[in-house]
Amino acid sequence: MSYRIPIGPYHIALDEPYKIEVDCEGEQVVGASLKVGFNFRGIEWLAQRKNVTQCIALLERVCGICSNVHAMTFCMALERIGSIEVPPRAQYIRVIVAELERLHSHLLWAGVAAELMGFQTLFMEVFRRRERVMDLLESVSGNRVNYAMNRLGGVNRDIGQPGEIREGVREIRNSLSSTLIPIFTTDRIVAARCRGVGILSRADALAYGVVGPVARASALDLDLRRDNPYLVYGALKFRVPTQNEGDVMARIVVRALEIVESCHIIEQALEQMPEGPLHAGEIYAVGPGEAVARIEGPRGEVFYFVASDGSDTPARVKVRTPSFVNIPSVVAMVKDNALADVPLIQAALDPCYSCTDR
Amino acid sequence: MSAEMLRWRIGGNWAQRADGWWLTVPLGRIRAAARLMREGGARFVALVPREIRAGKLHLSWHWDFRGTLLSVETELAPGVSAPSIVDIYAGADWAEREARDYFAVSFAERAATPPLMLRDGDTPGILLDAEGERP
Repeated sequence: MSYRIPIGPYHIALDEPYKIEVDCEGEQVVGASLKVGFNFRGIEWLAQRKNVTQCIALLERVCGICSNVHAMTFCMALERIGSIEVPPRAQYIRVIVAELERLHSHLLWAGVAAELMGFQTLFMEVFRRRERVMDLLESVSGNRVNYAMNRLGGVNRDIGQPGEIREGVREIRNSLSSTLIPIFTTDRIVAARCRGVGILSRADALAYGVVGPVARASALDLDLRRDNPYLVYGALKFRVPTQNEGDVMARIVVRALEIVESCHIIEQALEQMPEGPLHAGEIYAVGPGEAVARIEGPRGEVFYFVASDGSDTPARVKVRTPSFVNIPSVVAMVKDNALADVPLIQAALDPCYSCTDR
Repeated sequence: MSAEMLRWRIGGNWAQRADGWWLTVPLGRIRAAARLMREGGARFVALVPREIRAGKLHLSWHWDFRGTLLSVETELAPGVSAPSIVDIYAGADWAEREARDYFAVSFAERAATPPLMLRDGDTPGILLDAEGERP
């Protein structure tokens, strides 16, 4: 017997609103449809009515987790239009904050996934490490979220105590390598809940245009930090983990390995970071022009198109977040899976509805 | 295949910019370009509509090929439908529905373009100049 189950927009598993209607034959999912927009804020509309400085603060609020990358990508698009040279030290600081943000995002996701698996001990352990990352971000920026690090032509703050960041990152990497990654990759509970569940084939991954860890877990070997290096990523050594299985387990493994790589990147950046200015001067507008800027955020490619008419208010700001392209693929992921696995499959996307609805 | 080979297959006069490669084409060539992108293994990234003058829109479709941004742009006169590529890239569905919400773009080749961010019954086109300060 076929039946349709509406889930959402209020969820037991997610703090943000969205709706999935699941069509089932018995306990098996045969189809699904999605509805978003419950948290629509009209950020692109607002961005065309605020000056550049206000836009940086506005766009940092596109997402509550990867807030920094939005402000940074917006600044990078304007810097490209205005041919503004960002000083090397500022580029290193941007990389360090972006990678700390990736650690924060991936650990938050790992904690949520552990809780959805019913693995409370693992959830507590992951969140203990996440708290350490947030302490580091607070020590750099003064804030636990919305770090306000970016400005046109550079950054607002220096990293005054690199030793503290180095020590914190070493601690996180060691605990991940010795405890969390082995649990996530070998524990029977995790394997039973995640292996072979929510598969997204490579072909479907390409058709949906998914990005970030979701794409890399489905054998799409893409990462803008390596494929189109920006800031100082070209000077840093790191691996891009991929998996072929395309299931929830593969997404766990990719993110776990990426945490270790981010730690390596931060350590190298702290080592290489030169002395020098933090920004290119007091710049509040750029000349007429348009540009695209793309970066590899924690959830994948962040795309900004910015057009300027030469005034201090952008003529157009297009924001395409990673969740915007990743979430539709859940329709392919849940098909032929057990209804009980739908929450975990959704969570394995690391979806952000705040980003999606903007 | 390389990005250069893909550009050659699509044809036209590609222009290199700091952010990638751009090609201006007539409206009728968008779907053919999308098909060649798909065959070549390019990933669909975004559809960016914007208003250039009273009701006239500029549309750009963006793809990624191994880190290189390939952008195909065209202009859309008022009252003309844009070509849909949702049958070529499933991931273009939300992009097209959002273009409808923000700029009232209608798409041919798809049965319906339901709202994405707006609710059923809301008037589309909230970013059009003619809409003034309507949020």
